[in-house]
Amino acid sequence: MDNIISVKNLTYKFDNYEALDCVSFDVKTGEIVSVIGPNGSGKTTLIKNIIGVYKPTSGIIKIKGEEPKKSRSIIGYVPQRFDFDRSIPISVYEFMGLEKCGKKKHGCVNIKESLKQVGLVDVEKKSLGSLSGGQFQRMMIARSLLHEKEILIFDEPSTGIDIAGEQTVYDLIVKINKERGTTCVMVSHELNIVSKYSNRVLCLNKKKICYGAPETVINSKNLKDLYGISAGLYHSH
Amino acid sequence: MLEIFQYQFMIRAILAGSFVAVLLGWLGTFVIARKMSFMGDGIAHASLAGIALALLLGWAPIPTAVMFAIIIAICIYLLENKTKISTDAAIGIMFTTGMAIGVILLHFYQGYQPELISYLFGNILTINNFDLWSIIITGFIILVLIIFNYNKLVFTTFDREGAYLSGINPWIYDLLLYIITAVSIVLSIKLVGIVLVSALLITPSAFARLYTKSFKSFTVLAVLISVLIVVLGLILSYYLDLPSGATIILTGTSLFLLGYIFKFLKK
Repeated sequence: MDNIISVKNLTYKFDNYEALDCVSFDVKTGEIVSVIGPNGSGKTTLIKNIIGVYKPTSGIIKIKGEEPKKSRSIIGYVPQRFDFDRSIPISVYEFMGLEKCGKKKHGCVNIKESLKQVGLVDVEKKSLGSLSGGQFQRMMIARSLLHEKEILIFDEPSTGIDIAGEQTVYDLIVKINKERGTTCVMVSHELNIVSKYSNRVLCLNKKKICYGAPETVINSKNLKDLYGISAGLYHSH
Repeated sequence: MLEIFQYQFMIRAILAGSFVAVLLGWLGTFVIARKMSFMGDGIAHASLAGIALALLLGWAPIPTAVMFAIIIAICIYLLENKTKISTDAAIGIMFTTGMAIGVILLHFYQGYQPELISYLFGNILTINNFDLWSIIITGFIILVLIIFNYNKLVFTTFDREGAYLSGINPWIYDLLLYIITAVSIVLSIKLVGIVLVSALLITPSAFARLYTKSFKSFTVLAVLISVLIVVLGLILSYYLDLPSGATIILTGTSLFLLGYIFKFLKK
């Protein structure tokens, strides 16, 4: 499989603060890759460099062989937090239809169908601010389905969602990956989820600590290096 | 009731007022959604420098203030985006700088300047045919700009990163919104005055937010309420013999309070 995302020697600085230090890794087409690391380890900074919102201080990022700015339209992004005033009225239908498809806007049927695929029914007329955290994340995923994005990037998709909602969101990510072959990159703190669903895991703490299959990467030594505590996975028998 | 339409100044005020009400009512929806309520106040106060310069040099005040407001809007945008200064701090800096330049310029103006009071608090008697046509032509250009860029303005307002990923450059639409808001505010100064104009940007949207679930209905209601506030305020100011600017603003506040109480009782 080809590399759809290629990151080489990525360094990113906020003024004199080095948020990322010479990080390199590749993501193959159709993979699910998770990024784990403690708070402040540069996970969101890495994601913002990949989508092209931040410009690397040094290093190269290629999306399908091109700069992120040129290939950004194939990326769907679900942010950790959505900073908007929930009391401002905008309907789910209006929000989902903001991104035009070619020269046409999305029809109501397409939007309804896309919402149905993520398990949301009769919400298109609801105000965006009235959706729960889990519904909101699923709506964001539905929006990226509308445009058939080749890469979906999730920044802590389970933030503010209860356990049932969390499971639904992760199951949905896996379903999209399997059925559509969409490459998924997700930032997560849920080690059991990451271990269960990911093809590869990137352990990040400003530098790349390790990168590989979950069974080889998620172990006591690496977690100790990453978080500074003794931790492991929960195995039910 | 029809007596009011016998006077040319009232017809000019109602026409000019309705036009700026549509502009500010519509732009207010973006201003509220982007949490930029302070922007209206900042631009209006900063435009005192443009008006003072025009009065000092004998130029037309409103076109000069429009040019000055565009410069202020660009400066706010640059301070916000090219430095680490937050939006409200950037507006605060330009707000006070513009006022200070205005006060210094007025210091050099010899003698009493009655027109200045009308710019500070609004006076419909000072709206002449030149002002009316300036408002209609400039306002029409702004409306065309909003209509043609509406979808992108909404997209960048609610989801900047999503807009960027879809191929839009959000900064273009941020700057466009800042400039057209600044120009619209200056166009309204003779109607309600520098001190009060920001209320016309905020109150209609604050009212419309109470009763709507979609951005489309929010926008339509905000524009309708804005026109109602201005026309009703002008009629009340005429019959009660009160200052037009303050009456318009208090009409808006009263409508908002009534709307809020009605909504509260309905619950």
